[in-house]
This record gives sequence, structure tokens and C-alpha cells, in this order.
Amino acid sequence: MNKISKIYTASSVPAFPPRPRNLFPVWLAATLAVLWLIVHDLEISFETLVYGVADMGEYFSRYREPDFSDLSRYLELMGITLATALWGTVFALVVGFFLAPLAARNLSPHPLVYRLVREVLNFMRAMPDLLLALVFVAALGLGPLPGALALGVHTAGFLGKFFAESLERVDQGVYEGVASTGANFPQLVMYAGWPSILREALGFTLYILDRNVRMASVLGLVGAGGIGLALHDTVRMFDYGKSGALILVILVTILIIDYASAWLRRRLG
Amino acid sequence: MSTISIESVTKRFPNGFEALKGISTEIAAGSFTVILGPSGAGKSTLLRLLNGLEIPSGGSIRIAGEALDKGNLRKLRSSVAMVFQQFNLVDRLSVVTNVLTGRLAHRSWVGSVFYLFRTEDMDIAQQALARVGLTDKAWSRADKLSGGQQQRVGIARALAQRPKVILADEPVASLDPVSSEEIMGLLREIRDRDGITVVVNLHQVDLAKRFADRIIGMNSGRVVFDGPPAELSPQALRTIYQREGMEHDNHLDLALAYA
Repeated sequence: MNKISKIYTASSVPAFPPRPRNLFPVWLAATLAVLWLIVHDLEISFETLVYGVADMGEYFSRYREPDFSDLSRYLELMGITLATALWGTVFALVVGFFLAPLAARNLSPHPLVYRLVREVLNFMRAMPDLLLALVFVAALGLGPLPGALALGVHTAGFLGKFFAESLERVDQGVYEGVASTGANFPQLVMYAGWPSILREALGFTLYILDRNVRMASVLGLVGAGGIGLALHDTVRMFDYGKSGALILVILVTILIIDYASAWLRRRLG
Repeated sequence: MSTISIESVTKRFPNGFEALKGISTEIAAGSFTVILGPSGAGKSTLLRLLNGLEIPSGGSIRIAGEALDKGNLRKLRSSVAMVFQQFNLVDRLSVVTNVLTGRLAHRSWVGSVFYLFRTEDMDIAQQALARVGLTDKAWSRADKLSGGQQQRVGIARALAQRPKVILADEPVASLDPVSSEEIMGLLREIRDRDGITVVVNLHQVDLAKRFADRIIGMNSGRVVFDGPPAELSPQALRTIYQREGMEHDNHLDLALAYA
């Protein structure tokens, strides 16, 4: 008699093997406990937040009437900020492009190279760009160049890691298909690796560009030029009208970048 | 003269699984060999060893007299092409570029990383695509093709290598019967016309009987049958497909009744 199609009566249905242990409730409880301990320990008071809402409303209302009399200068400053972000992103892209294949576990020519490059990328990511900008401003003087460099170094760490992880997710078969022809490491990277992750890589790069535009606006505060410096000055002089206008220029620019990158991704998908 | 000689090759994976327990055989130049065996018998491992995608734990492999080792891996790969069950094309590249990857081993990396190829490589790709009847799909993206067409691109990539041997690892396992017939016919024709040695892993006994000049049967990492298709008796098939610890296997009898 055929084993699989055996007919079982209700009483003789075999029991399931023991259910695997599910630890999710334990982890959830532990996480909640840690969160509560933090609130308790840091004396975070939600009451302050409730009382503060009215004050915050009053403060933000001061920005009600933006003053656009200096718009052409703001746009020029925004242009400088955009250029800084763009150069930072290009720098990150180039560095990430060369380091990512070495930091992908399944491609890296040697485990030591893999570890080393991973650590370099971790280091770049761990250095805050504000700190890097301070260092570069001290070394290179005021202006957009130290800003671009700071953004580039910091985000190269991100792009390198993102690209490397995308390269690791590519089906091993695709690498084997190209490797089986006798292709060497650079050929494997160029023919199996990059074409397979092109779309993802573009998405990451556009995200980093978007992030760099926002960050470049802040970097002006430490002397790296652009619109941030202007905003810094107007906020310090309690010039709410001009500050409001500057904030709106930044917001609109970021919105445009967001839509443009979504459109570009659709086009190239 | 034999193209491939395999001498007491064993393969143990890091997880302790012993896929090959000592395989010794010679595969003659210009022959069409089919390897049969149940899943997990070690067929794929054997084929992957011949292309250097896996390194043997013991024994040695010689391709056209040259021992396969780490030093000449890329050189030998260039003359031992591989065709895969899942085609393993680069989906986002055009059909032509996929075929041109077959030329990479013959070129230094400087030009090739910029996707620059010589006219002679283009000619070879053109010929290879004409052989598999996909000239009109040359500029399509590989993932826009049907399964049968993708496998033909896989074969064109192998042909572009101008190899001595083509290894095909279950090339028709993901294809419908008509495409399977087409792919097997193509491999047979390549053997007949170009004298390329072909080794194919198959699950279809009927295809094996019709296309092979020699059948190697494997079970649990050992060769349990070796001979021409005519000698593949029901008894031989039982030996190849028998499952461990199963004296009376009804599924085996049923499956073989229609083989």
C-alpha cells in the first residue's frame, strides 16, 4: 500500500512533532522593560511636553511672515549648498564604487581584505559629518570645499556598506555563471555585480544626495558656506521674517529633490 | 584520448556531508555523456568540480592532460564551459553582453571592465547567437526572454568561450518538454558538429537514453552504473534510483515503470 495516501481515521491522526519554541513574547517584554527603565532613569517627563505645546506654538508663530526681499541671494546660497551636497555625493559614490566589492563577503578576494575594508567603512560612518566639517574647515579654511569633503567621507561609509550588502544579496548563481567562464575579479564585479544591483544602487545614491542636501544646509553653521550660514546669522539676530524665508527655500528645494529623485528612479527602473 | 580524467575524487562539505565518496572515470574527447541519479547523489557536485566551482577534498581532475588546481583555475575554466539549471544569466544585461561574457577570460580586464570588446569577439558572439537562433533578440534584456530562450543564451555564452568541454547541470529541469527537447538537440548538435565534449546531468531517463552515448549512474556519491544507453536495464535503473533503507519502494517501481 502506498505510504503517503494512507487514510487516517480521526483517532489515529499522528500528532505534530513538538512545536518549536517561540521567543518573541520574551523579547518584546524585555524591550518594553528597557524602554520603561530609560524613561524612569532619565526622568523624562511627558508632562513638560504637554505644558510646552502652547509655548512652542507661540515660538513658531513668529515665523508667520516670511521676508522674501533678499530672495535672489537666498537662491544663490541654496545653489552653493546644492553644489556642496552634489560634490559630496559624487565623492561618496566613487569611493563606495571601489570599496563595496571588497567589502562584500561573497566577492572579496580575501577575508582579511573584507574585514579591513568593512572597518574602514565603519570608521567613515562613525565620524559625524559635523565633526569632519570642523576638522576640514580648520585645515582647508572656510567655504564649500571642506563641507563637500566632510559629506563625502561620511556618506562614502554609508554607500560602501549599502552597495556591499546589495552585492551580497545577488543570487550566487549569477556570480557562478560569469565566474564559470574564467572571468577575473574586476570582470566579475563589472559583469555580474554592478549590473545586478544598478537600480538599488541608484536608489541609495539618490537617498544619500537627498540627505546630503539637508545636511549641507546645516554644515553652514560650522563655516562650510551655503545657506546654513545665512540661516545661522538670521536666527541669531532674531530676524524671524528672513529666517522663515530661508527655511521655506530649504524646504521647497528638498521637496523638489525628493520628487525629482522619485521620477528618476521610475524612469531608470 | 580522453578530455577529462577523474581520479578517486572525493568531496566533503564543511557541514560534514560527503557528496562524493571516490569517483574515478575517464570521459572521452567528443563524447556525449549523461549522468543520472537521484537528487543528492552528487551529480551537481561532480560537474561543479570539473569547472572548479568546487575544490575536491581528495583525488585529482585533469582536463586535456592538465591538472585542475588553484593556479590554472581561470585558464581551465575558459575551456570548460558551464550551462546551469537556473541559466545564471545577468538579468539586466542584454543578450549580446551575456554572450560576450564568454569572451572575458580571453581578454585583459582593462578594456573589458568598460564593456569594450574587439570586433572578433563581436563576430564570435554573433555566430554563437545565430547557432541558438536568437539573433533577433540580441539587444533584448536577458530577463525579458522565456525560460527556453534564456537557456539558449546560456548555451550561446558557453559556445562563445570556444570551449573543449561543455558541462550542463540539469539544463532542462526548469523547462517545458518542447524546450527541453530543443535544448538537448542543441547540445547534441554542438557535440556532433564542433566535436565539443558534452557532459549533462539529467533527471529525465528517456532524454538520457535518446541523447547519450554513455550513461553514468550515481547514487550516494558513488558511480553505480556506467555503460551505453542500451545497457540501462530496469534493474540498472533500480540500482541508480534506490533509496537508502527502503527495501520495497512502491514509488520507485511506479516511477521506473514509465521511464
